Amino acid sequence: MRLFSDILRYRDLVRYLVLRELKVRYRRSVIGFLWTMLQPLLMLLVFHVVFSAIFRFDVKNYPVYALAGILFWNFFSQSITTSMNSLRGNASLLTKIPVPHVVFPVATTVSGVVNLLFALIPLFAILVVTGHPLRPSLFFLPVSILIAAAFTLGAGLALSPLAVLFHDVVELVAVLLTLLMYMTPTFYPMAILPDRFLWAVRFNPIRSILEIFRDPIYLAKVPPVSHLTVAIGIAILALVAGSLIFRATSDRIALYA
Amino acid sequence: MTAPLQQPDLVVEASGLRLCYRLAQQRIPSFKEYAIHWLKGSLKYQKLWAVDGVDLRIGRGSSVGIVGRNGAGKSTLLKLISGVLKPTEGSLEVRGSVAPILELGTGFDHELTGYENIFLNALLLGHPHREVEARADEIIAFSGLENFIHSPIRNYSSGMIARLGFSIATAWKPAVLILDEVLSVGDQVFKRRCEERMRDLVTDGVTLLMVSHEAAAVRSVCEECLWIDQGKIRACGPVDDVLEQYSELATAGQALRRGS
Repeated sequence: MRLFSDILRYRDLVRYLVLRELKVRYRRSVIGFLWTMLQPLLMLLVFHVVFSAIFRFDVKNYPVYALAGILFWNFFSQSITTSMNSLRGNASLLTKIPVPHVVFPVATTVSGVVNLLFALIPLFAILVVTGHPLRPSLFFLPVSILIAAAFTLGAGLALSPLAVLFHDVVELVAVLLTLLMYMTPTFYPMAILPDRFLWAVRFNPIRSILEIFRDPIYLAKVPPVSHLTVAIGIAILALVAGSLIFRATSDRIALYA
Repeated sequence: MTAPLQQPDLVVEASGLRLCYRLAQQRIPSFKEYAIHWLKGSLKYQKLWAVDGVDLRIGRGSSVGIVGRNGAGKSTLLKLISGVLKPTEGSLEVRGSVAPILELGTGFDHELTGYENIFLNALLLGHPHREVEARADEIIAFSGLENFIHSPIRNYSSGMIARLGFSIATAWKPAVLILDEVLSVGDQVFKRRCEERMRDLVTDGVTLLMVSHEAAAVRSVCEECLWIDQGKIRACGPVDDVLEQYSELATAGQALRRGS
């Protein structure tokens, strides 16, 4: 496949772009690096107060449940947003240098994964502090992250050319992401949902992938094969659809960038 | 048995090459509006054929200057040959690697130092990291920027950026070297050094395509010349002949304007 060979040929450039993105993110301030770890913890604190004091629902070891959800959601939404903008942001390059466009969404997705890995550190701290069982199921996490990354890359491949062709795609996606966030049980348990809304969450593909990520941490179990099959299927579907959209539009991008 | 009809020495081959910019009559920047117009069937574009039926056969080791008025389609033609734009119609084949400088300072990050930019720029041109490392010293030496190479290039003059860009692009031997009006900002000393390097590369089998509005620069490095007008080839051939025709038209145009 053409896209894949392009990435392979320009792998040094991808590595460079990933490092640059991480540097920009962490150079800004002394606590830049700490911020990646601190931010989800603060979010957790907010949710903890809101949902244990105001809306009251009982989830066993809520901090672990919610933090795993928040980390996943942050990865997903930030990677989608940055890779969606990755072609627009490099418009001047695309019209002047014959570089394969695919390196840009790939680099943003990879740096999203690196950020997620950093953010796992406070999660493990919470696991230890709350006395959550540390089981070998945690070794399944790399597979979960790979599935999540494939899905996210697929979405980025589909959205990045559309954001060049149509300027309102960015706003549209921002709204969609907010909707999706509430449709994904990141910080609330499925059990609180009224029956008539349950379908919306059940058929939300992001929920399937979230659970593949959260099960090994929160339930300390490797996800069941049936769930795994669905999640892998969704990720592959997203990747194939994204690649097709990317390829179909790639010849026209430089005309509009 | 005869050999297959192939000319291995042709580096750029184009026939009926056309490129169309679609300029929306009402600017349609949003998906919503696009969808509405598409549904109503009222999507109208003004078509601009920037390159309009170009046939080219450029051999290995040729040096071709490209002249023409602003908006004639020179840069678009170079973008097509570079692979930045894809032809709307016609066929185009470029055999081998292309090193383009289509604009001064693209592929540079102004916050990074000159040294860091050597890596960024060369990686963008598709060279592997360890090759850039191996040639960094040579690139710096040719650019003559030893004293400034570790300061951010936002402090560089445009001439200095041109030096760095040219040094990077020509540190590797491409099949086709493409320059779009980039040396005009360099000083005389550097310009002469660049012209010398271009001639060396061409002798070495590199094909050079160069857009320039300076007849002297074209004459000093190019043997052939292509005159583009309204997306079509108006004339091509030995550099002196074409430049003469081109300047005749320019003076005629001036005379006409003065007369009116």
